Amino acid sequence: MIETLITTALAGVVLAALYALMASGLSLIWTTLGVFNFSHGALMMFGAHIAWTVTVAWGLGLVPGLVAGVAGAAALGIIIEYLLVRPFYGKPNMLLITVMTTLAAMIILEKSAQIIWGARLKQLPRLIEGDVTILGATISAHEALIVLLAPIVLIALAKFTERSRIGRSLRAVGQNQDAAALIGINVPWTFALAFALGAGLAGLTGVLLGSIRFITPGLGAEPLVAAMIVVIFGGLGSLGQTAAAALVIGLGEAFLVLVVGLYWTPFVLFLALVAILVLRPNGLFARAQ
Amino acid sequence: MMLRVTGVEGGYGSVTVLRGVDLELAPGENLGIFGPNGHGKTTLLRMISGLLRPTAGTIAFEGEEITSWPPSRIVAAGLVQAQQGNTLFGDMGVAETLELAAFTPRARKDASAQLDRVYAQFPRLAERRNQRAKTLSGGERQMLSIGAALMCVPRLLILDEPTLGLSPKLKEELSQAFKAISADVPLILIEQDVELLLSVTNRLCLLEQGEIVRQIDRANAPDHAEIMAMYFGEAAL
Repeated sequence: MIETLITTALAGVVLAALYALMASGLSLIWTTLGVFNFSHGALMMFGAHIAWTVTVAWGLGLVPGLVAGVAGAAALGIIIEYLLVRPFYGKPNMLLITVMTTLAAMIILEKSAQIIWGARLKQLPRLIEGDVTILGATISAHEALIVLLAPIVLIALAKFTERSRIGRSLRAVGQNQDAAALIGINVPWTFALAFALGAGLAGLTGVLLGSIRFITPGLGAEPLVAAMIVVIFGGLGSLGQTAAAALVIGLGEAFLVLVVGLYWTPFVLFLALVAILVLRPNGLFARAQ
Repeated sequence: MMLRVTGVEGGYGSVTVLRGVDLELAPGENLGIFGPNGHGKTTLLRMISGLLRPTAGTIAFEGEEITSWPPSRIVAAGLVQAQQGNTLFGDMGVAETLELAAFTPRARKDASAQLDRVYAQFPRLAERRNQRAKTLSGGERQMLSIGAALMCVPRLLILDEPTLGLSPKLKEELSQAFKAISADVPLILIEQDVELLLSVTNRLCLLEQGEIVRQIDRANAPDHAEIMAMYFGEAAL
C-alpha cells in the first residue's frame, strides 16, 4: 500500500516536472505577447520528432538530437510568430484572431508531422540508462533526471527574466509595449525572442517525453491541455506559481489515475479547473487583490 | 536643425488629427507646445517617436530623415520622449526600471554615471529605488518617467504634459527640474500651463485643429490675457 502511494507520488512528480516545463513556455509567451499559443503542444511534438530523426534515423546520439529538437522547435516558433501572430498585433480582437491562427498552426504542424514521419510509433533512447530507487519505489534514471532538470531550467529562466537586460526587456514589453519601445527596446524582436524561448521549452519537453512515451503526431495534444490547466491553476505570470501549480496537477493526476482510473481523470481535473475559475479567478496561488 | 517636422499629416484609421504640422527646433533652443486637448499634441509626439506613421510629410532629426524609422532606432539616435501619464512598467522596481532604460548601446556605456545624475535630480526616486512603479504616487511616477527618459541619454528630450494632475508644489519642483535638465539637453515641452512654458522654453507653439496656428517668442511674449485669448478665443476676454 505504502509502496503504491510512493510509486504514484513519484509518477506525479515526473508529470509535474514535464508540465512545469511545458507551462512555463506557454506562460512566457502569454505574459510577453498576450497570445495564448495553441500550437505549443504541436511544437513539443515537432521537437520530439526532430530529435528522433537526428538521434535514431541519422544515428548521431541523443545529445545532438536534444539540441536539434530544442533549436528546431525554437525556429518553428519564430516562423509561427512571424507568419501567424505578427500580422495581427494591435488589431482590436487580436486575442481571438491568434487563438484561431495558433490553432491553425497546431493542425498544420500535426499534419506535416504525419506526412514527414508517418504515424508509426517511435521512441527516443533514454538520456541515462538504469533505475533509481527512492523510498522503496523505483523510477527510471531518465525520469529522475527530468525531475532534477526541470527546476534547474525554471530557476535559470526566472533568473534570466529578473536579472538580465534581455530578460527584463521581455517583462517590460509584456507590461507596456509603447513605453518599452520608447526606451529603445526593439519590440518586434522581443516578441520573436519570447516565441523562440517558449517554443524551445516546448521542444525540450518533447525530447524528454519522447523517451518515456511513444512519439506520434498527436503527442502534444494531452500535454498541451495539462499545461493549460497548470497555467490557469497557477495564474499566468510568476514562474514560482507555475511550478507549484504543476506539482498540484501532476500529483493530482497521478493519484486520480489510481483512484478513479485513467478514463475519468481528465474529467475530474477539468471539474477542479472550473471550480478554481469560479472561486479564485486569478489562479489558485494568486494573492487577493 | 535639431528637429524639423514638415507638412506632417495623419491620425488613427480614418480619423485625421494632424493637417500639416510644420515645426523647427534650432540647436540651443527649448520649445513649448500648448493647445486644447484633442487637437493633436500627443498624436504629433507619437509620430515623432515612430509609434505612429504620418500619412504625409517628413520628420528629420539632426538632418537625418527618421519618418519611417522604428521607435527603437529613433531612441538609439538620441531622440527620446516621456509619454503622458505613463506608469511605465507597473511590476518593476524603480532602480530596475532605470537600469533597463539605459537599453541602447550608447546609453549603456554611461549608465551608472547617468543613474547617479537621475538620483541627484530626483532624490525621491533614490529613496524609493526598490519600490514597484505601480505603488508610486502620481508625482513620483512622473519623476520615474522623466528619469527613465534621461537614462536613454537623450540628445533631444520631449516631455508630454509632465505636470498633468499634479499639485502646484510638485509642479514647481518639476519645473525646477526642467530648467536644470534643459541646461544639458534641449527640451520640447508639451504643457497646458503657459506660465510654466514661458519660464522654461524660449518659443511657444499653439497647436490647434491639427495645425500650428501661432508661434510666440519669449523675448516679445504677449501678456497673459492675450495668450488666454488665443487659447480660448476672443470670447474669453
